[in-house]
Amino acid sequence: MYVYRIMLLLVFGGYLLSPLLMSGWASPGVAWYRPFVIWGVLIALTLWLEQKRRLDER
Amino acid sequence: MTLSLSAVMLLGIGYLGLLFLGALAVERGWVPARISRHPAVYILALGVYASAWATYGSLELAGRAGFGYLAYYLGVAGAFLLAPVLLVPIQRLSRAYQLASLADLFAFRFRSRWVGSLVTLVSLLAVLPLLALQVQTLGDTIFLMTGTGAPWLFALVFCVLIALFAIAFGARHARLHARHDTLLAAIAVESLVKLVAMLVLGTYALFVVFDGPADLQAWLDGPGRSVQAGIEQLDPTRWRTLLLLFFAAAFLMPHMFHVTFAETLSRRTLLQAAWSLPLFLLLMALPIPLILWGTQRLGEDGAGIGEAYYAFALSDAAWLQGTAFIAGLAAASGTMIVISLALSGMILNHLVLVALPPGKQLGLYRWLRWLRRGLIAAVILGGWLFYRLVGVKHDLTTLGLVAFVGMAQCLPGMLALLYWPGANRKGMVSGLIVGSLIWLLGLWPPLVTALPGLILLPPGLEELAGQAPWYLVTLVSLTANILTLILVSLATHTSAGERAAAEACSVDAVIRPKRFPLIATSGEEFKQQLARALGEDIAEHEVERALTDLGLSPQESRPYALRRLRDRIQANLSGRMGPSVAQDIVDRFLPYRGDGIAATEDIHFVESRLEAYRTRLTGLARELDGLRRYHRHTLARLPVGLCAFGEDGELLMWNDALATLTGIDGDSVIGARRDNLPAPWGELLGRILADPHSRLYKQPVELAGELRHLTLHKAELDAGEDGHGGKVVLIEDHSEMKWLEDELVHAARLASIGQLAAGVAHEIGNPITGISSLAQNLRYDTDDPRVLETAGQIQQLTERVSRIVASLVGFAHGGRHVSGHTLSAVSMADITDEALHLIHLARSGEDVVFENRCLVEPRVLGDAQRLLQVMVNLLGNARDASAAGDRVIIEAEPAGEWLQVSVTDEGEGIDDSVRDRLFEPFTTTKPPGEGTGLGMALVYSIIVEHGGKIDINSPPPGQATGTQICLWLPLNRQEVAHADEPDSDR
Repeated sequence: MYVYRIMLLLVFGGYLLSPLLMSGWASPGVAWYRPFVIWGVLIALTLWLEQKRRLDER
Repeated sequence: MTLSLSAVMLLGIGYLGLLFLGALAVERGWVPARISRHPAVYILALGVYASAWATYGSLELAGRAGFGYLAYYLGVAGAFLLAPVLLVPIQRLSRAYQLASLADLFAFRFRSRWVGSLVTLVSLLAVLPLLALQVQTLGDTIFLMTGTGAPWLFALVFCVLIALFAIAFGARHARLHARHDTLLAAIAVESLVKLVAMLVLGTYALFVVFDGPADLQAWLDGPGRSVQAGIEQLDPTRWRTLLLLFFAAAFLMPHMFHVTFAETLSRRTLLQAAWSLPLFLLLMALPIPLILWGTQRLGEDGAGIGEAYYAFALSDAAWLQGTAFIAGLAAASGTMIVISLALSGMILNHLVLVALPPGKQLGLYRWLRWLRRGLIAAVILGGWLFYRLVGVKHDLTTLGLVAFVGMAQCLPGMLALLYWPGANRKGMVSGLIVGSLIWLLGLWPPLVTALPGLILLPPGLEELAGQAPWYLVTLVSLTANILTLILVSLATHTSAGERAAAEACSVDAVIRPKRFPLIATSGEEFKQQLARALGEDIAEHEVERALTDLGLSPQESRPYALRRLRDRIQANLSGRMGPSVAQDIVDRFLPYRGDGIAATEDIHFVESRLEAYRTRLTGLARELDGLRRYHRHTLARLPVGLCAFGEDGELLMWNDALATLTGIDGDSVIGARRDNLPAPWGELLGRILADPHSRLYKQPVELAGELRHLTLHKAELDAGEDGHGGKVVLIEDHSEMKWLEDELVHAARLASIGQLAAGVAHEIGNPITGISSLAQNLRYDTDDPRVLETAGQIQQLTERVSRIVASLVGFAHGGRHVSGHTLSAVSMADITDEALHLIHLARSGEDVVFENRCLVEPRVLGDAQRLLQVMVNLLGNARDASAAGDRVIIEAEPAGEWLQVSVTDEGEGIDDSVRDRLFEPFTTTKPPGEGTGLGMALVYSIIVEHGGKIDINSPPPGQATGTQICLWLPLNRQEVAHADEPDSDR
């Protein structure tokens, strides 16, 4: 249950803060791959939560 | 413009041909099932979401809105991130009720076929632009590569091929909710192909056009900045709106709903997709800016070929253009195949079958299959027609956004379906109609005519008038849709059927199904009733299939099982004909009885559902469920038989102890009526249920050929606020207690006989002493040898009588515990002699030969009377087991610290099953009435009291038959005994 709450929080928070992802398109000094790194971190976090959930429900 | 038309057509047709062969290989089983059914295949199949929009449309959007193109990927990633709370509940519903499409789900929840028809119409209208988008990319890319003037014709060729593929591998079964391994494998391969193709294009841009990531960054920070500065970034509100649209598309778009829910992905795979599908989409999205920037660096400004097809401008190399074409073809064909399958099912169930209900025509399933094939072709060709008439005039972004905004109109209804049981049909239909009308008026006129869209902004939002139409329409239509749904639902009445369906659908529902009795009372009657609707063959097939699914026998007549059978038949028919038609059929032909019997909650069903969904319970619900399981477990493991009946006489519980006692498994009788229980339980339980008293004592019942005495207790369960009334019955097996009581009576009788014998012996003792004295006197008074001999014989006989009397008195006084007061050094030879003497008095078995081979020494310290009792019992048993002429040998000899005493007979021996419990009370090998079963128990307790041990050899060593009882009595007990008894012997 706690994992689901974290996921809900993560998605809603991500929804609100997601416009920040776009700010780097033409900004000088910002790595072009930054949105993908953030996205990759999110996927890793989801994978970790998914494994935690499986342990929680065992 | 570097390739010939024939080369491009060959490439496309060759690709589809290879896909066809691959699918055939999976279908024929040439590909191992461990590969074709691997979770990765399902997850890649979910990549069907990445349509031609992902390969070309995203480039167009990235060229116009920068990183705004990511909304397409992040929206669906968000939906899958919420899989446990959003997708898994939908999957549970679609699986439990065989709901294969969004229209099925809505029709089931809102209990109306018209809702299903409305959702199908909206889906059809929304998906047509998306289908046209796919076809348009095919036509455009062929034109781009070949410069040939009739791309629509070549696009038609591909549409026909794709339709044939969909018909061949997707419409094999009449059921929509079936596992299509072949189709899934093909879609997975398409996902893999488009991913690899996109990565190749991205890599080419990064390492060939640019000189690696550093060069790209340098270009972006330098010369590229001016190009990028011209791109208008999405403002946060439009970005969030786009995210919302794509979030909704993840589970509302017919093709996504089909792969996610109608294909039987496991729950675990769906949860794995929460991270793996976003990873796939990340890899798909990554090459998009690289291709865009690469093309911009090469000097392409987008005016020539349009941003969507920048991948073709990266190089004139045929292999690169071919890769870009295959990426688009794989994406478009996969999406078109699944959309056509999903939409054809929706149109069939919610438009065609509603207009033309299925009758008893022969070959119903065949008719359904052909109808579906026709619809698949019609949907794909409809997409081509839409492209031909409308699509060619618009860019990909416009077409795609019209589709996504339209499909999002089902989002409020879907969220209400899952999370708001208060929503009703009128609210949902009103909201959907209002939202869809705003969408149609706002976005369709510019799509199909030259007229602008009609967007009515509510007061206060006039300043938004200049914004993009798709954004305004989304904002206004969804707001109006949600408000209408809420207000109308609150203002109108919700039917009981809708409330029940709402509870079944709601994520946090308290599922409280009711028990109604059915008119049909057996599987056979089900077949007869359904035959009126479906024809005999199909009715029989459906009933048999449902029975097999549930693991029930065709003779099943339990009301509980018949209710489950009805539900299963409805679910299976729903998979073939949609929930509306299926519900109509079962309501009409398998109705519940309307004879006024009050419906009660189906507790057993509730419990089985709770067990199945246990992992989904959280927080307080999980703790309460833990408590419920504990109580349930307590009742199930109660060492006393327990069963419970509902108010309608249906059996609700049958615990383990009762299953053991009766030999009837709980699963086979729970849900049955009391009078249908096997004999003698139906009658016995009927008696206690009808009895005004709450107990029935020691009822004789014959179980497995053995007479048992059962005591039954009954308690009434008053129907409180929760309405769970009924009766609970406890069944105790009192057979052993009854036996013990009988034995006690018998023992008391024996004891009184013993006392009588002692009294009689005492009374006889006096005259015998007198007779002996008189005989002695006679010897003194005469010298006549004949008289002397007679007197001597009289004395011998009186001594014998005295010994008999003394033995009787001694045995009658037996039964005391061994104590220091009675311990003395005894010789087992003497004890055996005396026991044999007593045995011979019984006047039976006189032809059995007893041989006392006991040594007089050594002696053991013991209670002579108790040891006598031991030997009498052992010798008596040996005598009873022996046939005429058999020998019984009694031996006693020292063996280390023990005196080993053995009694060996030549009888039949003791069965292994009895031997292990021979020393338990009431265990006997003798015929009923002849043995008490207490003798060996007494022997055991006396030997243990003497610190000895006992063993049984049957047959004895060196003999074919017979029994040998071995006793070991301690030889060194003397010292210990003296140490323990200071007062008596010192």
